[in-house]
Amino acid sequence: MHIIARSSRIVALGTAILFSSAFAATAFTACQITDTGGIDDNSFNQTAWKGVQDAMEQLGIEGRFLESQAETDYEANINSLLGGQCDIIITVGFLLGDATQTAANANPDQKFSIVDFAYDPEIPNILGQVYATDEAAFLAGYLAAGMTKTGTLGVFGGINIPPVTIFMDGFHRGAAYYNAQKDTSVIVLGWNPDTREGLFTNNFDSLDDGRAYAQNLYDEGADIILPVAGPVGLGSAALADELGTEQLKIIGVDADLYFTDPAKKHVYLTSVTKRMDATVFDVIKNTMDGAFKGGVLVGSLSNGGVDLASFHDMEALVPEDLKAELAAIRQGIIDGTIKVDGN
Amino acid sequence: MNVELRGITKSFGPVIANSDVTLDIRAGEVLGLLGENGAGKSTLMNVLCGLYQPNAGEIRIDGRPVTFNGPGAAIEAGIGMVHQHFMLVPVFTVAENVVLGVEPVGKLDFLDLKKASDQVRAIKDQYGLEVDPDALIETLPVGVQQRVEIIKVLFRSAQVLILDEPTAVLTPQEVEEFFQIIKALRDAGKALVFITHKLNEILQIADRISVLRQGRITGSGDPKTMTTKDLAEMMVGRPVSFDVTKQPFAPGKDLLKIENLTVLHENSEIAVNQINFSVRSGEIIGIAGVQGNGQTALVEALAGLRHITSGTVTYQDHDITHSSARARHRMGIAHIPEDRQRTGIIPSFTVAENMVLDTYYDTRFSSRGQIKWDIVNEAAARGAVEFDVRTPSVFSAAGHLSGGNQQKLVVARELSRDTEMLLAAQPTRGLDVGSIEYIHERLIHARDEGDGVLIVSSELDEILALSDRILVMFKGNIIAEFENGDGQADKNEVGLAMAGAAP
Amino acid sequence: MSTPSKTDKAIQDLLRRAAPPRAEFEDLVIVPIFAVVAALILGAFTMLATNVELATIGQSYIALLKGSVGSLNAISETLTAAAPLILAGLGLALGFRAGLFNIGAEGQILMGGIAAVITGFSLPGLPFVLLLPLCLLSGALVGALYAGIAGWLRAATGAHEVISTIMLNLISYRLLDYLLRQPFIQREGRADPISKSVPDNAELPRLLDWLDPNLRVHAGIFLALAAVLVVYWILYRSKIGFEFRASGASPDAARFAGMRSGLIIVAAMATAGALAGLAGANQVLGVLDRATPGFSAGIGFDAIAVALLGRSHPFGVLLAGLLFGALEAGGRQMQVDAGVSIDLIGIIQALIIVFIAAPLLVRAIFPWGFRKPADVRKE
Repeated sequence: MHIIARSSRIVALGTAILFSSAFAATAFTACQITDTGGIDDNSFNQTAWKGVQDAMEQLGIEGRFLESQAETDYEANINSLLGGQCDIIITVGFLLGDATQTAANANPDQKFSIVDFAYDPEIPNILGQVYATDEAAFLAGYLAAGMTKTGTLGVFGGINIPPVTIFMDGFHRGAAYYNAQKDTSVIVLGWNPDTREGLFTNNFDSLDDGRAYAQNLYDEGADIILPVAGPVGLGSAALADELGTEQLKIIGVDADLYFTDPAKKHVYLTSVTKRMDATVFDVIKNTMDGAFKGGVLVGSLSNGGVDLASFHDMEALVPEDLKAELAAIRQGIIDGTIKVDGN
Repeated sequence: MNVELRGITKSFGPVIANSDVTLDIRAGEVLGLLGENGAGKSTLMNVLCGLYQPNAGEIRIDGRPVTFNGPGAAIEAGIGMVHQHFMLVPVFTVAENVVLGVEPVGKLDFLDLKKASDQVRAIKDQYGLEVDPDALIETLPVGVQQRVEIIKVLFRSAQVLILDEPTAVLTPQEVEEFFQIIKALRDAGKALVFITHKLNEILQIADRISVLRQGRITGSGDPKTMTTKDLAEMMVGRPVSFDVTKQPFAPGKDLLKIENLTVLHENSEIAVNQINFSVRSGEIIGIAGVQGNGQTALVEALAGLRHITSGTVTYQDHDITHSSARARHRMGIAHIPEDRQRTGIIPSFTVAENMVLDTYYDTRFSSRGQIKWDIVNEAAARGAVEFDVRTPSVFSAAGHLSGGNQQKLVVARELSRDTEMLLAAQPTRGLDVGSIEYIHERLIHARDEGDGVLIVSSELDEILALSDRILVMFKGNIIAEFENGDGQADKNEVGLAMAGAAP
Repeated sequence: MSTPSKTDKAIQDLLRRAAPPRAEFEDLVIVPIFAVVAALILGAFTMLATNVELATIGQSYIALLKGSVGSLNAISETLTAAAPLILAGLGLALGFRAGLFNIGAEGQILMGGIAAVITGFSLPGLPFVLLLPLCLLSGALVGALYAGIAGWLRAATGAHEVISTIMLNLISYRLLDYLLRQPFIQREGRADPISKSVPDNAELPRLLDWLDPNLRVHAGIFLALAAVLVVYWILYRSKIGFEFRASGASPDAARFAGMRSGLIIVAAMATAGALAGLAGANQVLGVLDRATPGFSAGIGFDAIAVALLGRSHPFGVLLAGLLFGALEAGGRQMQVDAGVSIDLIGIIQALIIVFIAAPLLVRAIFPWGFRKPADVRKE
């Protein structure tokens, strides 16, 4: 299935390139390099690519992507896009941080943007795109705490890196906030925000792991699980599909999985969306307008860079009171009256 | 049914395997086809079986010319071949193997094994081929497996049976039984072709003999009026001497002393049971016995390749009971293994590499971890010339040589260094007359030079011709000993001992 | 000077080297070439079947050529990708020659690589001429020890090396994961498994960065070339190599010739592991300058194909490694220029191996490249 999905994409892309190259050779070109998850990961690579595709449609630019098969490819892939053929190179993923930095230093005239990484100190030709996903995950945690029947929630991550654990932090604290407000004792399995330790699959591609980890959490009583591991979560969704949503619900991450995983859409309570498509689109647009500036772009609830997706099929299951509380908390976070960083 | 081959010529590119061969195969007769390895016997029979198409000449059955487009057509016509290497499924029963490919089927295409079994029994009774149709092939001795191959051919209504080197795998007793079967088939009106390079056997069983050399018929005749000498000359192309000339027997002191030696099989059964003997310098000891009576284990134990359970082996007053094979080599013990293809040479290696397979480490051939290939190649060429190993070059793969030349290569390797004790297991098995003659000469030469020689052979004639002393092994024991310094041992007595009758 | 005797002449005749037989030439040269051609053609059909347009297919093969040898950068990338494949492939080839089917190069690469990294950042004060050789040596040594485990298991207990090396691969993944989280290895300030970087004077120097800082080719390619010569020497000139080849070609004959199979197995595995360990060191010291969980990137498995394609001969491995390196570098260009998926390169690589492994198939597809089998057959 993977291959079929991929091939149809190749076709689409092939035509896209032929089409665009038939027009103007001088058109603006945005190039994306994925991490090892691949362009069709139903997660951040795909979402970022959607930003490029949106720009292709709306701004008439040319877009290209290059998939990495292994970590040793990162630097080589960046190199093969150098030489002036790309107006901006967008690298996707925390793990490309080193390679992007090396390339940016060696090629100061090339503009780069990286998703999920920020440099300190800033590098003038890289714009880092990071996301305050803890804000949205905080809402998800509050929601889940309000929805659980067993009083137990589960979360697990791909690799113990900041872009992953920030979801887990937010989710954990959202549930804790619910406990504080309602005097309940909902527990979250799989992450301890203080010791920074928890449950990790140590990969971003094994659907089997996604299933097994969800099974473990379910066995420990969790009835709502947040998998923060890209396509690994699809395995968890498959488990929920088999057990039935009465037993287990999944909260998606990155994209609204109700749309990107249509076969299992009914198992998703909601998704913590990280609108990389929006920020990537903005970066491309700004660069086209000549407004590129190195530094950090933070996506948050206030600018729409992160959000909680709609409940879709589960709309009716969520009590109106809870919806109202979520709206209030959301406003509180934007105002700064509610802190999500645990302080 | 009579089959005539008329002017058959078959060539493979520039190589002519058969040239203008004319043969008559008649019902109720055994035709002996004699020839050395590579003389073109197998090609000729493959032409007859429809595997090859001849370039010229024709095959006639009962006077009518026929053409076989494949093996199927030849079988259809009543020609069946029993190959040297059996083609049986080990985990199937006799009956299942016999009917394989032409299975009798009952209602609804069910396999009728009962019927198959009955059909096999009928053939068995008709020709006196004693075999249990329901036994598993893998449980049967080689001689019985061969009977199954014959039944297979008869089951397909063969009138002409071609037997390719049928006795190569049989023990002397099995050969006798086998000859009875051949006679029964002949008397039943079948035409038989008996392919071999063994002179005695062909004289014993054939009604007519044709000799093939280098693709041509070089002679034919009536076995009653022919001698082994005549046949050998036709086969080799020059007079062959069967009389081995030895120096007068003058043994020296004990070289290899074996005391209470016990060796086990892999399955922990006793292979060699508490045996005692010694080999003196200038003496050839022949171990006679039907294969599988512990000879292999004995030689391997002496060569350091098999663990010795109890007893001692002393060589030149050193206890070598637990010395490694390499250590024994270095002390001057040479070993010609019985399975030349598997353990004697490495077929994919060159002649030169095989020539130093167990001496490459010697300071003559290597220094500081590096093999001096120039010297190795030179020595290999010298050895090949000296020991008559016929090869186009020392860089040819040893696997491309004929069996005789491979064995001469092994002998060259083992004897072209400073040895004092030679262990030779089945040194001439499966070889042509010329090679046998040559290897015998070399073994005697070693003995005349003062080496001790231990020969294991299942060919009684070979043992009698070479040995100064004969020990007979039976079920892991030495059950008889014969002095043969002047050729005085009695063949019948030795043969009886081989069958387990202690004198 | 006296005229040479008849014997001398016969000896000289035997020492003449015949030209390699045609069949061997066909096997070593024609089959691999046609295998590549057949794989490319079948690859094109695969693309057609997935609705890629004909023009794009043409474009992608041009890109494959351009990306592998079409520019200085392309050649640099080809060599960079080839070096570890050659090193690990040599190790596997040596094992195959000794009759050992070592699947464990991947684990040996990981262990060798992490050892090189640890040596590198632990001794930052040492000068380049000491530190780099020390890092390479530790990579080779640890690779050899790790492979030696499988060799020892085989020699001492008869455990088949295919099973034990696969298991050792799995162990190595987790072991590396564990090591990368240890405080003295893990990079400061990171929670994910990533090692500290090696200092500059432990790195394999880049060869052409004075021309263009993006040219990645580094001294590892010389390491690989040297290894080709060393392995050739081991296999075809040295005593131990003779023993390796003898036990590989016929374990029984080797034993009968007095060779000690246990020692040979352990030595062959260790040598293979040393080469794989060097491949790992090559990656971390030449390309990545640090270790992360996936740094072996499947090289240990690709190297199996390289060794098989190279017919387990050092020079064959060199050529096969370069071919695979070219496919990797060219494959990247296929993605860039034609937008063809990198997966297709994997398919083409796999097809090449299938065709190499089935020479009869190649002969059947391209009959005019070979002599007719009937002419070759002899009695």
